[in-house]
Order: sequence, then structure tokens, then C-alpha cells
Amino acid sequence: MPNDKETGKADVVTLRDRFLISPASPLPDLSTPSADAFLAEDRRERGRPVFALVVKPGIPSRLPMLRTLKGQENPGLLSLIEWGVTDWPPADRKAMIIIYARPMGGRLWGDKGSNVRRVDEADIVLRIVKPAIAALKQLNSLGITHRAIRPSNMFWMSSERDRAVFGDGASAPPGLDQPSALEPVECALSQPEGRGDGTNGNDIYSFGASLAMILQGRDIAVTSAEEAIIRHKIVMGSYSALAGEARLPLSLVEILRGMLCDDVDQRWNAEALDLWLNGRRLTPLVPRIEKRAIRAFPFSGKEYWTGRELAIGIFQNWDKALVQLGDGKLELWLSRAADNKPKGELIANILAGGADNPASDKHLNDDITIAKICMILDTKAPLRYKNMSTMIDGIRWLLPMTMAKGGDVRTIASALIREMPKAWYTTREVYSPENSVLDAGFRTQKGYLDRALIGYGLERVVYELNDGVPCLSPLVVDEYVLELRDLLSALNAYAKKKGDNAGAKVIDRHIAAFIMARANFDIERMVGELGLPDPARVMIASINVLAVVQWRLGLPNVSALTSWLAQLARPAIKSYHNRARRAFLEKELPRVGRDGNLIELSRLLDSSEERGNDFRGFEEAKTMWTNSHRQMRAIEEGHEEIKEESTRTGQQVASLISVTLAFIAIAILLLKKFV
Amino acid sequence: MAKKAKKAKKASGKSSNAGGRRGRSNIQILLVVCGIALVPFSIPTLLLLFAGLLPTLVAALTDRSLARYAWICVGGLNFAGLAPALLTLWFGHHEIPYAVSQLTSLKVLLMAYGGAAVGWMLYFAAPPVVGVILQATSQRRAESMRKQMAKLQEEWGDEVATEGEEEGTEEPPTGTAVPTQRG
Repeated sequence: MPNDKETGKADVVTLRDRFLISPASPLPDLSTPSADAFLAEDRRERGRPVFALVVKPGIPSRLPMLRTLKGQENPGLLSLIEWGVTDWPPADRKAMIIIYARPMGGRLWGDKGSNVRRVDEADIVLRIVKPAIAALKQLNSLGITHRAIRPSNMFWMSSERDRAVFGDGASAPPGLDQPSALEPVECALSQPEGRGDGTNGNDIYSFGASLAMILQGRDIAVTSAEEAIIRHKIVMGSYSALAGEARLPLSLVEILRGMLCDDVDQRWNAEALDLWLNGRRLTPLVPRIEKRAIRAFPFSGKEYWTGRELAIGIFQNWDKALVQLGDGKLELWLSRAADNKPKGELIANILAGGADNPASDKHLNDDITIAKICMILDTKAPLRYKNMSTMIDGIRWLLPMTMAKGGDVRTIASALIREMPKAWYTTREVYSPENSVLDAGFRTQKGYLDRALIGYGLERVVYELNDGVPCLSPLVVDEYVLELRDLLSALNAYAKKKGDNAGAKVIDRHIAAFIMARANFDIERMVGELGLPDPARVMIASINVLAVVQWRLGLPNVSALTSWLAQLARPAIKSYHNRARRAFLEKELPRVGRDGNLIELSRLLDSSEERGNDFRGFEEAKTMWTNSHRQMRAIEEGHEEIKEESTRTGQQVASLISVTLAFIAIAILLLKKFV
Repeated sequence: MAKKAKKAKKASGKSSNAGGRRGRSNIQILLVVCGIALVPFSIPTLLLLFAGLLPTLVAALTDRSLARYAWICVGGLNFAGLAPALLTLWFGHHEIPYAVSQLTSLKVLLMAYGGAAVGWMLYFAAPPVVGVILQATSQRRAESMRKQMAKLQEEWGDEVATEGEEEGTEEPPTGTAVPTQRG
């Protein structure tokens, strides 16, 4: 992962020693809602005009797209030359910077309806459609989606305005900046953050909608209300909503109908577009819209004629929904008026199941029941749960965006814990093996959510679901840590910046979850020790975790971080019993801290051998002390015993002396007699 | 087969034990018979021993202690005091009148009974002296223990003084530092 160490100076920022970005020269004409554009220079190719997009804080970029599109050349795509994370002095933080080839002809349209210009019908195929189809074909073959195709994100590549290209789609989550009018109905119904990566069909739809607007020379997203456009699309179809009233050339009507088809299976794909471009004419598609019921379903003061509209109505009146649906009227309406008996039976089962469920939390049961009813009424709709509406593949973007904004993530967590994705997959009309794989992935995430320990929980889900999310810990959020190898340098920068005010916690829940999600080695046991009740043990565990990261990834020394940890580890010295060892650690800690080697610090504080020696030595010392104490007390309290012993021993000694003297006397007498 | 062999071995063991006891008692009987046979030839010695070792006999009869060291202590020196007279009897005139004359000699009696008196004195004086020595040794040991305990506390802290606490309840810690070898 490119995470440059170059530090930007006040007047220029360097990316990868090659691109010079000038913070003082903004390019508002090339900016997007999620990223600001700045003048840039390529040191290697001086004459090549380039610009830099600096992504705003809290917006995760699309890493797979950045990796795939880097270096790709396509007539319909803005060339992505380089990307990386580097210091951004104006914001005093690190930022994701993407270097693109600079379009010299400017934007097709400005944002929010400004500079709306009609392009001549005669030139539109050559200048816009042809390069766009080339781009869509390449994106399809690369297996990625653009998800930011709109007139305001299309540029004339040359000053002659002879070729339009799609602008940046990688800086922000898919579909985040798209107006609802340019999104397929199901994506338009979801929150912008949760529109998901989608498929190539989404890009084709967005291009179709953009083309319809360019042909008419009007920005529908500005001229019509969002809700009205969506309703029009549902009732009459997207083509009718976006281009129905315009008088368009017949040849373009065909391609527009193909691209704006609401049925994703019927919608034209990249090959069909290519065939059309090569002159093969197909019969224009007739929009297949949902059959209207013979009578409306009254709900919350409104009348609904289709399941999709009713699902929208239920979502908008979530809290009052079940009271109005729970008396069997909905099943009756579906079976008789909407002529959809299977759905009616499904809903009857769900309502019966919800009522029978003896779960303690009635509100929770109601929410699950309403969510399932919405899924059945509109099988193509996003996953709706309370105030959340997201495409199933959009959860991975919605969650980090909500978390970064400090929003309420409880609804998302609740939806995952209550296995709403599983319910969503089981209500699909057509079985897809891919869904089973995705469902298994969500089950894994539920497993993380069920464990409240540090290293798990919602934080873990954020990083597991999306590898483009930088670590959101307050300690390193300004350092834009995308990969594990950048974490230590980020913490080091934090320690350096804060000095003595760095605080007492080095690894919070976000950092622990980030490490667990990004590490490709076993670190679970060590991270688990971060949840121990003993603060000294937690501090040693923090050092061990970071040391393993440094050791495994072969990272350089980080002196500020190590000094900070060494300072915090002082109370942990008391976990050793041996006073000499304690004194040695007190002496060594500052030196090891200055050296910046976390591995050495870890080994100094928590060496298995030293710990074992200390424990065994202490146990032996305790035993020795106890024995000595017992003996001492026995001596002090045992005078009677000494008296008895002295009597016994004294008598023995006296006897011995007596017998010895007798022998000596006899021996002397015998000697005198015979010598 | 093995059982039979075992039984045979047991039986032979028993018989050999019985044989040993019988042999020993035969020897004892033989010694007693020999001793009785010698009595007529050693009456002067027995006379002198009986009269000279009377304090030892008294000590043996009056000592009520478990170890019964008194008669050994008194007897040793009593016999040492009687030894010159005994040797004179054995190597001079081993006759009853001579033995009687020895017994009536004040010098002989003084030596024998004086020895016994010294034996008694030794018997009573030795225990207090030994007590004093033992007391001094114990004090020195206690001081050494105190010093060792103080050293342990200095080396391992006051936590080491866990007299009366339950032992062996703590789990041995396992350091989780980065291993020295890349795994």
C-alpha cells in the first residue's frame, strides 16, 4: 500500500517523489462533492497536465477500483495515474490523494444544474456515447463498477471537446454523490452511503440517465423533486420518467430504452451497447412495470396501488406500520386486489410468526416483522430496517460512513445481529449461489458482533467488511492508516505530537479491531489479553501486540511510541517479585524506550523465561521463608524440648566419659603391670 | 509350579529361622553352664566385685529414667576405682582370704566408692552443661534464620512473608513477549 513518508511542505505536497501538488492552487472546476481538486505536476513527464483529488476526511475511498484502474488507459475514462496517502498540510492530517490526467475541455455540466449545456445530437454518439461504451466495456471486463456516472462528473478531455470521459469514481463510496434521478430505482431508494458497488448494469443505467438529460439539455435532478422522480419511475418506468416527454432521435430512443430498463435482467449490457454502436438495431424494450392492484391499499392516510409503493409507505411510517397491517387486511389485499396470493400467504406467515414469538422485546419483534414485510412486498428494494435503507452490498460503506460521522450505528448493528441480511437473501425471488456466500460472510460478522470483547464488536465488522476503511481510532484517524504496516508509524506520530499528554491508552477498540482484521498472522490470544481487568497486564499486552506487528512486518524502530509505552509500562514492573529484576527494569526501560525497538521492550518486560524464573524464584523464596519462620518459632517456643534434650544428651555424655575413663584406667594399670 | 516353589521357599525360610533361634538358645545355655562351672574357681573375684561395685548396683536399682544411663556412668568410674585391687587379686593371690583383706582395706574401698561418687557427680553435672551449650547453639540458629528471612524479604519483597496463607493457588504466569526466533 502506498503510504508515503514524504511530508508535504507548506507550499507543495509531494506524492511518491514524483507528483508535486500545490495546496494553494485549487481547481474547483475539477472538484467532486467528496474530494477537492488541486493543481499538480508530474516531475517525470513535465508536459503532461495532471491534477490531484484530495479526498475529504471521513470518506473511505474504493481501494479495489484505485488498484485496478491505476495505469489503465481508456478513451472514456479519466486516466488514473497514481494514488496514495500523504501529509496534507492545509488540514494538518494525512489524506488520500488521487492523481488524474487533467481534462482540458472542462466539465460537461456544472454541479446542481449550473452550466447545463445541450450537446448537438449529431455529435453525441461520436463524442460521448462511443467513448462511454468503451469505458463501460472495460469496467465490465475488469470486474469493477464506476458508480459515479453523471453529467457533472463527465469531462471533455481536450479543449476541442471532441471526447467526453467519465470522471473520478474511486474517491468516494459507490453512488454516494449520485443524484437519485441517475440511479436505478432500488439504489435511489437506499441511503446514498449504502447504494453499494452494484453491477455493471448500474453504470449502464446511470449513463443512460445522464445521456437522456444531456440530450434534453436539462438537469432533471434539479428541475424535479427527488420523490416525484422515484414515484414516476416506479409507476411509469425510468425511461418515461427521464426521457418520456422529450422528442429524441429514434436511434437514440432504442439505446436509452435499453439502458434505462428497470428490469436489471432485461437491461442492455456492455455487449449489447457495443452491438448497437456497430450498427445492429434492436427492437426498443417496452418497460415492464409492476402490475397495479385493482383497488388501492389505504395506509397512513394514503392509497397505494403497488407492493413497491406500499413498501416505501411502510418504511416512511415504520413505527405505526404494524398496527395498520396486523389485522389481515394486507394479506387479503395482496391475494385479491393485487392478485399475488403467494406473497399474501408469506406475509400471513410472517405476521403469525411475529405474534407467536415469545421474545422479550416486542418492539424488536415488530421491527423484524415490518422489515420482512417490506422485503416481500418489494423484492428488489434495499434492505430496510427502522430508519436504515441500504443495498445489501452497501452495508460495508454505510457502516464506516456512519461511524466516521459519529452517527447512530445501533440500527445497523441491530440489523446485523437480528440477521436481517439472511432474511433479505431468503426472500429473493431467484436463488443465487453467490447469495449463500455473502450470507455466510454476514453470519461471520454476526459472530464478531455477538462478542463484546476488545478486538470484536461493530469496530471489527467495519474493518472486516471493507479493506478500504482507514483505522477510525481517534489516536490515528488523522494519519489515514489503511494498512497494518502504517499503524505503528501513525501511533508514533501521535506520541510525538502529544508528548506527555498522549494519555494512558495505546490500543483502543478500533485499533484492536483493525489489527485483528488486517493481520494475516495469529494475534487473537494477545489481543484477548487487552481485555484483562489488571491495567498493568493490559499495558504489557498492548506492548506485546504492537511488538508482534513490528516483528512480523519487519517495521523500523518507533522511538516516540516506544518511549510512550515504556513510560506507561512503569507500573507493570511491579508484576515482577524480584527486587533486583525490578531495579534492572527501572534502569533499562528508558534506554529501550529511546531505542524505539518494541520487540526489545516486549522481551524486556514479558520474557517467558524471565517470568518463569521470577515465579519459580518467588515460590521457592516463599517456601524458604515459611520454613525459616517455622524453625525460628520452634526455637523460640521450644525451651522444654531443649531441657529434655540437654538432660538426655548430658547423661549420654557423662556415661561416655565414665566408660572411657574406666577403659583408660584399666589400660594404664595393665601396661604398668606388664611393661 | 511357581506357587509350589514359593511355598517350599517359605517353609524352608521358616525352618531356617527356627533353627537359628534354637542354635542361639543352645549357645546361651552352654555359656550359662560354663559360667556356673567356673563359679567355684572365681569366688574371690566375685566377692571383690560384689562388694566393690555396690554403688553401681544401687544406681542400677534406683535409676527410674527411661534411658537408664546412671548405672553406666557410676559403674564406669566405680570399676575404674576397683580395677587396681582386682588386678592385684588376679595377678597375686587369687584366694578368698586375700580378697577379704582387700575388701577391708580403706584405700581400696575409698578408691572404688570415690570413683562411684565421681560417677554420680558427672551424671548430675553433665546435663546442665550440655543444656547451656544447646541453648547457645539454638540462639545462633534462630539468628541465622532471622537473617535469612530478612534477606528473602529484601530480595523478593514483603509479599514473600506469607505465613499461614494457602500455598500453590496461583497460576504460573506465561510471558507472551515476541519469541526470539521467527516462527
